[in-house]
Amino acid sequence: MIVKYLLVLPALMFSSLAIAQDLTHPTKMDLPESGFSRPDPSDYQISLDNGLTAYIARADQVPLVTLSAFIRAGKVSDEKEGSAEVLLDALLYGGPEGQSPEGFKDVIRLMAADFSVEMHDEWTEISLNIPKEDLDIALPIFSALIRSPAVTDAALANASGKTEAEIGAVEALSLSSATFALADAVERFYEVLYADHPYGRRPTVEDFSNLTVDDVKDFHEKFFVPGNMTLAIAGDINEAEVRANVRDLFGDMRATRALPPRQMPTIEFEKAAQHTFPVKKLQSWLVIGHELPVVPLEDQAALDVMNYILAAEHLHARMLTNTRVLYGYTNDASGFLEDRWFGPGSYTFRSYSRPEVIRPLYEEMMSAIGSMQTEEVTAEELFIAKGALRDGTFPIRYLDGYSTARDFAIEWLRYGNHSRSASYTHRVGAVTAKDVSDMANKYMRTRSMQIVLVGEPANLLE
Amino acid sequence: MKWNAIINFLIKSHLGLPLRLLKTILCGTLVLSATAALAQGRSFELPIRAHVFENGLRLLVIERPGETRVVAKIFTDMGALNETPGQYGSAHFLEHLMFKGTPTLGSRDWPREKEIHERIQRAEDALEEELNRARNALRERGVFHDYQHQETTPKVGELRALIESLNQQVLELNDEGPMEKWYQAYGGTGLTATTEQEYMKFDLDLPAERVELFLRVEADRMQNTVFRNFDAERMILVEQRLGDLNGNATAYHEAMNALVGRSSMVYVPEGYMNDFGEYTRRYEQGLYERYFIANNTTLIFIGGVTLEDMKAKVEKYFGHMQRRPEPPRYQGKEPLPTAEKRLTWRSDSLSPRVEFRYQIPGVGHPDRPQFDVLKKALEPHLQSVLSSAGVAASVDINTLVVHTTRFGVPASFNIEVTVENAVQTATAESLILDEIRELSEEPIPEDDVALARKILRTEWYRTAADPSALAFEIGHFEVMDSWKTLAPYLEARDQTEASDLTRLIHRYFVAKNRSVGVVVPEGAVQ
Repeated sequence: MIVKYLLVLPALMFSSLAIAQDLTHPTKMDLPESGFSRPDPSDYQISLDNGLTAYIARADQVPLVTLSAFIRAGKVSDEKEGSAEVLLDALLYGGPEGQSPEGFKDVIRLMAADFSVEMHDEWTEISLNIPKEDLDIALPIFSALIRSPAVTDAALANASGKTEAEIGAVEALSLSSATFALADAVERFYEVLYADHPYGRRPTVEDFSNLTVDDVKDFHEKFFVPGNMTLAIAGDINEAEVRANVRDLFGDMRATRALPPRQMPTIEFEKAAQHTFPVKKLQSWLVIGHELPVVPLEDQAALDVMNYILAAEHLHARMLTNTRVLYGYTNDASGFLEDRWFGPGSYTFRSYSRPEVIRPLYEEMMSAIGSMQTEEVTAEELFIAKGALRDGTFPIRYLDGYSTARDFAIEWLRYGNHSRSASYTHRVGAVTAKDVSDMANKYMRTRSMQIVLVGEPANLLE
Repeated sequence: MKWNAIINFLIKSHLGLPLRLLKTILCGTLVLSATAALAQGRSFELPIRAHVFENGLRLLVIERPGETRVVAKIFTDMGALNETPGQYGSAHFLEHLMFKGTPTLGSRDWPREKEIHERIQRAEDALEEELNRARNALRERGVFHDYQHQETTPKVGELRALIESLNQQVLELNDEGPMEKWYQAYGGTGLTATTEQEYMKFDLDLPAERVELFLRVEADRMQNTVFRNFDAERMILVEQRLGDLNGNATAYHEAMNALVGRSSMVYVPEGYMNDFGEYTRRYEQGLYERYFIANNTTLIFIGGVTLEDMKAKVEKYFGHMQRRPEPPRYQGKEPLPTAEKRLTWRSDSLSPRVEFRYQIPGVGHPDRPQFDVLKKALEPHLQSVLSSAGVAASVDINTLVVHTTRFGVPASFNIEVTVENAVQTATAESLILDEIRELSEEPIPEDDVALARKILRTEWYRTAADPSALAFEIGHFEVMDSWKTLAPYLEARDQTEASDLTRLIHRYFVAKNRSVGVVVPEGAVQ
């Protein structure tokens, strides 16, 4: 009997060892280096003689194709106020010149296309996603729309009408849900930030009454030119055919160079201020921040690392720990670095909570900001942020053919080269704790924070 | 405008095209109009490779050689449907708690911390007993949400203070961001979790060569979660619920949900304020232990990995788990509907509208895929009917219940018509009902149905182009029905004809299966 147990015991021990859960700590797992390297833009790029640059990528997981155009012109590029907004309306609804808007709408519908035009202050993105089977129809329509949109009196009237409606909407906060409410609060922040700045200027109904169709066409002719535009085309395509089609459809456009950007004044707040927008809702929304100057290349990576440690969006970061994890004040508190191409952007911290804890929420957010300026970040924080940026958020910019082509197209349009993306992982890897501290002190100014509170009034600055 | 109209569009506008290209396009277009019909036979087959381990754990892999990243998801077949009344939202809360770490992730001194958790549990048990005693001593116990008996005794206060003080002691021993920070550090993105009526899932996208990290963390999360910061986390549910209730239409939609279903918890939102305070560690632990077992779990990977490689790695981290008794499955059978129901909602913050909801079967029933086609074909059709009658309205058809549009249990087909004023609600109601009556006899034009199929096909390709969205669909089908029925579901949609839609309308869009909601301004005469 004893012998029997003696035989069984080692077997049981071995078996329990074999089935034990592997709980090796992640840092001890010897995880391999990430195999990612940024794709080579020259594999995708074609340059036409007239100055147009396009990026073409094959991605055949599904029979779809996306056509995108990026133009270095937006809402603040127009010399005659309102031209950009009318052009946006014409691009969205008018279709190519010589056709009815209804015809254009029907073509989009019958292709089951996903069509969008997004006009930012400084640049515009036109995008058309279609089934592969419709590419031969879609490509010439796309080209014609970019080259000759139907700018009509109807587009002018539409844009004017929208402006009138938007003015009404701005006066009455929409606040139809928590998400929209935070977006509303961010809009209010931009109004404060760009109050006397060209980025804050929006056309009035009067501007539209002084505008003609020819003014809008002039705006289009000036900016929608090869040197001021890039294309990204990706999907289930024959790359050689698409390259040939791009040359056919865009090659005869008049050669031009990139236009010089409009010079933008800087912004600098002298002291902190609170801007309260009372509304009766179940929560209050908070946006804290100030301007972000144009960030030079040598600061970009360290600033990204600093922001990640402080307030990575809804992830493990000092601000979320201080506000959500420890105290349950809010569902989210995150930081947003929003740079602009030619002028001051914004650096904001956004959150929301039930009104009774809005003050401790604000204090904890400010405390997290202050800690970045006074306490050196830990080796672990640095390790996490650098790994996240180098092996996570950067590689997913090149996740598939379309995101790769799009990223390169925007980078070329903005900088005229690809050196920033080429060096990004190296620059992130070189960031030190001191760099992070320097960035926190250089780019965050706690004494001149602008605080936008939408919700139940509370004096946060006292 | 039909396909020949597109050709006219191209010819008329010329689009500044070289003649050679225009000819190519026109040939292509003519071919296209013919192939639109052929495309109906397209295969939606997915190259899923599957393996089931001895302990019942399911592994599904779509291999994409050469891709540097992998999308990883872990689905558990449980959700709000498994909650009991008074504990609504507890499955969602469990998801929050499962971010709090384990003994090996998140503690600086586990033996000490463990001892404090045991004291917290004893205190919570004593608190529950004391609360029950106080409640049970009352003849009438909390009969309405705004009325509370005094359930506080000196002992209740003491126990609550003790739990709070023990929670603080735990915090001092914790290492924050116990799981997510390692995912972040090693290049993980898209780290999210979701709990809906039928599932809980955790998601990640990470470098393919580091996929083992996901397995290490998720196996630990599945077996060894420690309920840290339990009481502070309750307040996050409060915040999320407040966020929902800030939506002008939330309360109305929840009232409509309640109008449609009789017994299924598919219509219940993820918790009410009066439930959040009732959750206990003991109850959450019960859900955790019952459902988070190997034979109730599916792992899905899409990207630069292979099935063979994943089998070995999954075995390493999940192989020790024993097959456990099958947890109870929610059936969600609804009684046969017997009468039309009606809700009048008065509000100045919502646009006037009239809405029709019809109960429809869940995924797994042969009619369910055809409802997707009906939605796409009926929406423009009804829009045009209203427009022809001079009613300025916007028609939205959806199958949304709470947050989700598809279920493995009965849900509803919702036709929402937003109009300009209260008077138009009656006109729109009458026009829509007349048209539905007509469509139960006369088919929707075949061209409209063909376009609906094409839209659905294209939308599916957009989903499949995104590995995370595709992995979600596979996992979602696995919890609703089976991942094997995803492709047949898509094929069934693509083979739906106008006569199928007529049959659906005839069978399901009947008065006794209808719930009508009418939104009018406060004080409007209806």
